[in-house]
Amino acid sequence: MSAVYPPAPASTGAVPRLMQQVWLLARQVLWRLPMLVMVSLIVFIILRAIPVDPVTMLLPPGASQDDIDALTAQLGLDRNLAVQFLIWLKDAFTLDFGTSIQNGSAVSAMVADALPMTIQLLVCGFIGGIALGLALGLLTFRYRGTRLEKILLASNGVMIAIPDYLWAIILIVIFGVTLQWLPFLGPVGANISIEHITGFLMLDSLLTANWEGFASAFSHLVLPSLTLSLVVATPIARMAYSSLSEVYREDYIHAAQLRGLSHNRILLHHALRNASLPTVSLVGVQASVIIGGTLLIESIFGLPGIGNLMIKAMRSFDMQVIQALALTYAVTVQLVNMATDFALYKLNPRLRIQS
Amino acid sequence: MGNTMAVADMEAVVFPRVEEDVLLKAEGLNLDVSIGGKTCRVLRDISFTLPRGKTLGLVGESGAGKSMLGRIISRQIPAGFSVSSGSLMFDGEDLLQASARQHRDWLGKRIAFIPQEPMTALNPVLTIGQQFTEHMLRFGVPAAECEARIIQALEEVLLPEPAALLSKYAFQLSGGMCQRVMIAMAFASEPDLVISDEATTALDVSTQAQVVRLLRDLQARKGTSVIFVTHDMGLATHACDEVTVLYAGEMMETAPARNIFQHASHPYTRALRDATPRLKGSVIPLKTLEGQMPGVESFADIPGCRFASRCDYAAASCNAGVPERVSVSHGHSVRCARYAELETLTAEQHSSSGTHQPGHAFSARSVLQASGISKVYPAANRRQKDKLALAAMDFTIAPGEFIGIVGESGSGKSTLGRMLMGLEDLTSGSIDINGKTLGNDEASWQRRISLVQMIFQDARSALNPRRKVGQLLTQVMDSRPHQRLERNMRMKELARDVGLAEQSVQRYPAQLSGGQRQRVNIGRSLCDLPQILIADEIVSGLDVSVQAQIMNLLLELRREHKVALVLISHDLSVVRYLCSRVLVMKNGEVIESGETEKVLSDPQHPYTRQLIAAVPPTDPDAVWPGASFTDKEAGVL
Repeated sequence: MSAVYPPAPASTGAVPRLMQQVWLLARQVLWRLPMLVMVSLIVFIILRAIPVDPVTMLLPPGASQDDIDALTAQLGLDRNLAVQFLIWLKDAFTLDFGTSIQNGSAVSAMVADALPMTIQLLVCGFIGGIALGLALGLLTFRYRGTRLEKILLASNGVMIAIPDYLWAIILIVIFGVTLQWLPFLGPVGANISIEHITGFLMLDSLLTANWEGFASAFSHLVLPSLTLSLVVATPIARMAYSSLSEVYREDYIHAAQLRGLSHNRILLHHALRNASLPTVSLVGVQASVIIGGTLLIESIFGLPGIGNLMIKAMRSFDMQVIQALALTYAVTVQLVNMATDFALYKLNPRLRIQS
Repeated sequence: MGNTMAVADMEAVVFPRVEEDVLLKAEGLNLDVSIGGKTCRVLRDISFTLPRGKTLGLVGESGAGKSMLGRIISRQIPAGFSVSSGSLMFDGEDLLQASARQHRDWLGKRIAFIPQEPMTALNPVLTIGQQFTEHMLRFGVPAAECEARIIQALEEVLLPEPAALLSKYAFQLSGGMCQRVMIAMAFASEPDLVISDEATTALDVSTQAQVVRLLRDLQARKGTSVIFVTHDMGLATHACDEVTVLYAGEMMETAPARNIFQHASHPYTRALRDATPRLKGSVIPLKTLEGQMPGVESFADIPGCRFASRCDYAAASCNAGVPERVSVSHGHSVRCARYAELETLTAEQHSSSGTHQPGHAFSARSVLQASGISKVYPAANRRQKDKLALAAMDFTIAPGEFIGIVGESGSGKSTLGRMLMGLEDLTSGSIDINGKTLGNDEASWQRRISLVQMIFQDARSALNPRRKVGQLLTQVMDSRPHQRLERNMRMKELARDVGLAEQSVQRYPAQLSGGQRQRVNIGRSLCDLPQILIADEIVSGLDVSVQAQIMNLLLELRREHKVALVLISHDLSVVRYLCSRVLVMKNGEVIESGETEKVLSDPQHPYTRQLIAAVPPTDPDAVWPGASFTDKEAGVL
């Protein structure tokens, strides 16, 4: 509706400005790399500190000492711990995470197979959760002073106390078992086959014009995504509501009211953007908890994502897989944090412009 | 002067020409609130007429209810308050009866507001252009014309490079620039009525003068009526056509603006006048108004004049009933039962005013000597330059000497204060106290804080709300737990020294008034009998009557304890009343210094002259604000 003026460029000219943006992005990535290495190192040390010997797990019970020594040497476990880590790190940079001790296949291939499922779940869960949370927060605030506000606040209080796995069970019981509206086990129906192109079931079914497959993949994703959405939405709704209440005490809202702007205009155009700043920060802070939550959700709904892979790997102490997945989770958390940082940078001009 | 007219004739008298086009007319407006089952009348019998193109000033101290009228007009009265009777006619239509839709339509179009804090009144995440465009679109400017019209409006308020301003955010502008944007926005729709609520309070003096000048220019050009709310009587004299003095929700006096200072008729108006420090003429001791304004909750218990409890001339008749408004002269009315006798009563009082001396040094020997001190803030990154906050300077202060440091925000005056106290490191130079140079070690710090203490600006945030006044007063004794008895004695002494009742040591800061809190704040710094106090703007946020009390208290403490004071202030009148010596600062440099009277009466530096000229004079015949300022001058802000 209103004309949009681009923010003042920090430096003049299009090329230096582009360079500046590229540098900003590069800096974002670069300073996160050492953090990822640290996370890998910690996981590496912990895995070695656990008194389980992968060699004896791999070999049959009656294996000779020679066999043990040979396998130990083959796995590189006889070398110095620091050297072992450096070798792992060097390989990791080429996306080589070794082979699984469960079935001998390449770890990177296993992770790549499972990752699309989890990404689908995360993207749907985050988008749904943020939308739901904002909508609930706005609704609660819009009806402040009425009974609806009290009801919404009270139910938010209850919802915040419900953990993700309990949501999963509640949703399964209501929509899966009682109403039988939605499936709740596996990624697609039993007699559906979807050609493997990208690994993203919904995308692949669309690409091959497999409408039946798309409907099945979609309906199977609804309940797990909704579970994740609810976990994401509840704190966002509360934060959005309280931030809005705070923003409405600010002078600029008062000034906007004195200019005769409509309630909705003030709420959506003037207040929401300011109130969204702490809300977006909250998403960034909660990212690790939410992403960790996919582990349980995947295993409850039987989705073959990296969460399920992780649980299997932990059962058989598959060090290489655990190590690779820990790094994958860390990267995902960093990506979400980068996204929230970027959103904050776009939303808050103070971060962009030095006064 | 004694002939009193019936109240019914009053409205005609206030603005003499009856045929004059009246824009806003309030009649018998009462605002009530229910507290603990009792109905308290927050505003009582507010009646006035505001003709087109004129300015009505509402003057009063905090709690007088002067902002309430604006809130009634904007329908933003606090929860629980309600207008119980009266009418408020806006161009022939009752503002109180209009539908919500109609009312909202008027806001921003026909009735505009200029806020107190310009920096926070602009949305921090939207550009000036986005907000201005939104406003323009609302009152029907076609989208294609918006940009040109906005630039024109910004040019009218003399903002440099208005086109570049559109893509700026509020935090990139100074307070004065933001206020000019707000004024441009307010006048963009050519409203009939503009309400300015303390619109210049948060600004520097010279910016204030420019903003008032702009306001008056635009008003004259567009024929706008203005309600000008302020606590500054001197400012009201020059910014308004008519002034109404409010006290505890009651209109005490209404007069043509030029009469309010010199022909003040109500005892309260006179008390305000006598508590206002002056920049010109002889310095006379300020008369302080004892006690404090009654709170809203006690209004129901006051049957008569609400000022009676603090009035020097109160008699039994004052409490008998609400006094009628009586006419003093053409357009001048006053609500005082004893008005007729007042002239003779005040004649007796006036003879007793003595002479006043600001804080001169007791001896030539200095307590504190700073030589070559400077402060540079290193740049945050390589692209920025180091910021010079204070250029190398010398500074000495003698026992009992009161030194004023004046300048606008960003002049480095607060930095100097903080460096003397030791809250900022010195980039260069050294500070000696009683001949011994201060180092960075713990012993030096102990010596420093036993001799130098700071009084912080905002007493509300400087006092821990969870601690009692007695503990706050003796906070420096926290580290000496074995001296409990001494501490209990000391807190009572200190309370007495700063004019607080002894029982108040048992209270919490929240239970005190603003003035009392400032007394605690001052008393706390006196606990260990320091030789130097550093006070950063400690009287600027206070009401005039409280300000006078605090200033007299500081002079009294000087006499008793031989304490010296470094007073950082933007208010030249305050500095003149307290300080024998003054330093004028600009951009981190001392540009002029010397004896206060000499500097003020014969300023050498053009900037000092500009500062003095920016203060609204108490003489109503003086022309203020001065000649219109140039674009170059505007660019400085």
